[in-house]
Amino acid sequence: MIDKKLLSLPGIRKILTLLAGIAFIQGSAIVGQACFLATTIVELWNGEKLIGQLKWVILFFGCFALRHFMVFYRDKILDRFAAKQSTDIRKQLLGKIFRVGPQVIQANGTGNVTTMVLEGVDKVENYLHLILAKTVNLMIVPWIILTVIWFFDWESGVFLLAIFPLIIIFMIVLGYAAQAKADKQYKTYQILSNHFVDSLRGIDTLKFFGLSKRYGKSIFKTSERFRKATMNTLKIAILSTFALDFFTTLSIAVVAVLLGLRLLNGQIQFFPALTVLVLSPEYFLPIRDFSGDYHATLDGKNAMNAIQKILALKEPKVRQIEIPRWQHSSTFKLKKAIFSYDKNHRALDDVSLSAVGYQKIGIIGLSGSGKSTLINLLSGFLQPDEAEISFEGERAASFTQNDWQNQLIYLPQNPYIFKATLRENITFYNPAATKEQISQAIEVVGLKKLVAELPQGLETIIGESARELSGGQSQRIALARAFLDESRKVLLFDEPTAHLDIETEVELKERMLPLMDQHLVFFATHRLHWMQQMDKIIVIDKGKIVESGTLAELKRKNGAFVRLSSSLRRI
Amino acid sequence: MKIFKLFKEDTWIKPFWGKYRKSLFLALVLGFLTFICGGALMFNSGYLISRSAAHPENILLVYVPIVLTRAFGIGRPVFRYLERLTSHNWVLKLTSELRLKLYHVIEKDAVFFKSKYQTGDILGLLAEDIGHLQNLYLRTIFPTVIAWLLYVFIILALGYFSLWFALVMLLLLGTLVFVFPLISMIVNGAKQERQKSLRNELYAGLTDNILGVSDWIFSQRGTEYNELHAAAQSELLKIKYEIQNNDHKRDFAVQLMFGILTIVLVVWTSSIFPGAHGGAANWIAAFVLSVFPLIDAFAPLGQAAQETNTYQDSLSRLNSLPKERDVEQKKDVKLTAPYEFKITRLNFHYADAQQLVLKDLNLTIKNGERLAILGRSGSGKSTLARLLRGDLQCSSGNLTLNGIPPAKLGDDICHYIGVIHQTPYLFHTTISNNLRVGNEAASAKQMWSVLERVGLKDLVSRMPDGLETIVDEAGLRFSGGERHRLALARILLQDVPIVILDEPTVSLDPLTEQDLIEMFVKQLEGKTLIWITHHLQGLSLMDKVIFIEDGRLTMSGSPQELAHTNQHYQRLLEIDHGILH
Repeated sequence: MIDKKLLSLPGIRKILTLLAGIAFIQGSAIVGQACFLATTIVELWNGEKLIGQLKWVILFFGCFALRHFMVFYRDKILDRFAAKQSTDIRKQLLGKIFRVGPQVIQANGTGNVTTMVLEGVDKVENYLHLILAKTVNLMIVPWIILTVIWFFDWESGVFLLAIFPLIIIFMIVLGYAAQAKADKQYKTYQILSNHFVDSLRGIDTLKFFGLSKRYGKSIFKTSERFRKATMNTLKIAILSTFALDFFTTLSIAVVAVLLGLRLLNGQIQFFPALTVLVLSPEYFLPIRDFSGDYHATLDGKNAMNAIQKILALKEPKVRQIEIPRWQHSSTFKLKKAIFSYDKNHRALDDVSLSAVGYQKIGIIGLSGSGKSTLINLLSGFLQPDEAEISFEGERAASFTQNDWQNQLIYLPQNPYIFKATLRENITFYNPAATKEQISQAIEVVGLKKLVAELPQGLETIIGESARELSGGQSQRIALARAFLDESRKVLLFDEPTAHLDIETEVELKERMLPLMDQHLVFFATHRLHWMQQMDKIIVIDKGKIVESGTLAELKRKNGAFVRLSSSLRRI
Repeated sequence: MKIFKLFKEDTWIKPFWGKYRKSLFLALVLGFLTFICGGALMFNSGYLISRSAAHPENILLVYVPIVLTRAFGIGRPVFRYLERLTSHNWVLKLTSELRLKLYHVIEKDAVFFKSKYQTGDILGLLAEDIGHLQNLYLRTIFPTVIAWLLYVFIILALGYFSLWFALVMLLLLGTLVFVFPLISMIVNGAKQERQKSLRNELYAGLTDNILGVSDWIFSQRGTEYNELHAAAQSELLKIKYEIQNNDHKRDFAVQLMFGILTIVLVVWTSSIFPGAHGGAANWIAAFVLSVFPLIDAFAPLGQAAQETNTYQDSLSRLNSLPKERDVEQKKDVKLTAPYEFKITRLNFHYADAQQLVLKDLNLTIKNGERLAILGRSGSGKSTLARLLRGDLQCSSGNLTLNGIPPAKLGDDICHYIGVIHQTPYLFHTTISNNLRVGNEAASAKQMWSVLERVGLKDLVSRMPDGLETIVDEAGLRFSGGERHRLALARILLQDVPIVILDEPTVSLDPLTEQDLIEMFVKQLEGKTLIWITHHLQGLSLMDKVIFIEDGRLTMSGSPQELAHTNQHYQRLLEIDHGILH
């Protein structure tokens, strides 16, 4: 009943023991509450004075209060326990995400990862809370009550015991029926339920084609079809709750009638009969509770599995080597690198290249040719399937090396701008930069105009949902980051200007070129004009390096490079 | 409290109370009967046992209670089942209405809606908001109203026996029905507000930093963020803990109230039903035992009331949408070829800003002309496209299509102008439905013919269900280029004389882009083509290029002319062509 994964949580044994103790006290209090209330009623029924019942009434209230106090106490304990567990899980998850990085995020999507860290973990917390309390209660409370009922009247005891498995069987059978029905309708269901959002998202398209006004009718019609489909499923889905309800209430009625008949014959006394009647709803309460928050528990369970899956991801254990700071005489070699995202298709196939000192290496190719994959491999985000890598002759398994990554600056097509002040964004790689350094960086990358325009200058908050910047401005900020950390001598560019308008690109290029001096540069692009400034050009196609050399050499060869450039410039 | 104010000014919940009145009423009555049966079952059972214990001579004397016990035992689950079906059905009917309303509101502003709201997926959010309203009904409004009905019934019923006791219960149950929920809402309301804002901050922060994860890794400052996040998270946990704590205290207090209620009933019944081994005292057990089933009806009210706080955002978001306006009457105007745009001295600024986006623009677009509008992002070129389609109206000056301002044509403009965007939207339905957006009456033959023209015939015929394949399902994704081809196919079916291409190809790689531009030009031969772009790829295929800088038209001419005479254009060409020169 309890997931095996839960039993491996730290401190779970202790909490389960505690819960069992609480459930035991609760069960006993329920019995006490029923007995004392029955006593009071029977005495009054016999014509005794109310004042004489004070003792029983106080005892009743004492038991009643104790029972609910135990619930209160149990919830508090569970709050604390669940909160602690969720904090730990969240910490592990975040640690994992920030260690393994883009791989996890790409595979799951940013939105999903965020939701998992925040809501997913909350759901797990809720799940722990519910499942532990309910399961322990179900395993203890009904049986204490049943024992007492048996003691007072074994016939009712037999009846109540027999009905219990019947309820469970019915619930399971009906649950499966509902599931089967839901599965059968899943596809139509999905389409109908997405139809509305889909129409809203495409509403401008509808408008452009002059359909938007008439389309309202279709929205309503589809929504009504959705309602009918939902109701059809629901009729069956809530049958299992109905079965539970039906059997429990009817059982109480049957117990009452049987008790009544036997009272008539004098086979049982009033007090035990009344006690059994008061106790019978309590007997069913735990199972009703247990099935109550079914969806919350299911959600929690799924969330927990999803989180476990990420936590179980293998982290590449790459032997770290010492790599000296990159300088004009440094070298690295990459030989026969192979990388594939899936089995059938190699994204990089037998790629070899070497870099010496402050070379500028252009990587040119069409979309999907493997440019970005190569850059990601060089940055250490991806682990090659096979490769010989060596820094200054020393072998390394991949580029995931601390000593390498802390020398890198990576400029993607859309550099990420954090929602923070402009200053914090610029000094991301070097939070200790001085005022002079910052203003120099701003000057160099041409951000002066922006700083002057911003209401609080450098201290203005930029980024998502604050002040949004244009693509060119984002690139300039990323450049300033690079400029401010002079110790990083390796620059990786992945199509930094592909989405910019031609004039912005030109302005940016003027700023970028001086920064590339005295750096090892890898520049992946399909914009040909950058090739003039490169010392070496690598032409990549379908994951293979098809040609390499200086611009002059490649032009002379009249091969892949020339073909590529003329196909880009047919007109 | 904000939530009360929201309710007062609401136009999204209240107007619908009158809708489908019968099923609403039925749902409430069924809910009421469910609890009545639950209470009556225990009431009746208590009486039955007491009566039997008194050993009546005739078994027929307990016959009625026996039958009733069974009836109530069956009645409760049946009513509950029916109540759930009726209430869900009502809420889903309401949902259809709300969706239609939301759709109409957004439709008025369709072209600009997305750009007006900065929040990532405002449309998805609004759709979810309607889902939240469903919950508001099912989890708060229905249970609360049913409890009120029950409250009234109980007080009236007790009033029949004793006026003063009815008054006592009016107060005692009143605390459960009104005081606890209200306190719960107010005490936890502020905390929930704080919780929500903390949570939103965390969300934003986390999304932000997950998007920027590569920078954290390269800077090797990852643990720094984790600590920062943990600190914020622990503050959130603290608030959550406080809220939970209040909830537990409230639930405990509510239960104690029921304990007191039971005792009060014992005292009252013992005084009006004096016992003598049965007799009137048979009613004691009946009254006292019926308290317990009522716990189910009244105990969840606090939680239910408190939940309204969580719907606050949804309510205020929906209510802050523009109100539905009346459709303006449009004249029946028919334009005939040749189609010519005339723009004279056009100025434009948005209603909420003074700054001119377009300044003193003069331009004529002739029938069948291929015009490229070149400019940086933010220079005003997309605004011009919207003015041409009549989605915006000029602040001063004139813009006419065959002498008529395009806005005058209303939705009829779609018979004359088609638009292709940077990210053409494909609906999550079959390919044929997506094509029929262009022309609802299109035959399969027509569709295949346009697919052939845009070079997708082979691809589509290879798909499992051909034209009836659902877009984007089970790994079937169209690439950027293919999406544009489909969008073009739609336009071809629409068969309009003027087509606006609003930066349709900038996100594609140059080879795909080149192919697409060639295809656009070839397939749209003879139509007026207005192409907005920010780089030079394919410009030489155009008849005329105009350049917009800071809202002004700064150069204009055929690409060949400009390449010879205009220095700025020459410079751009030089950079773009770069190394081949």
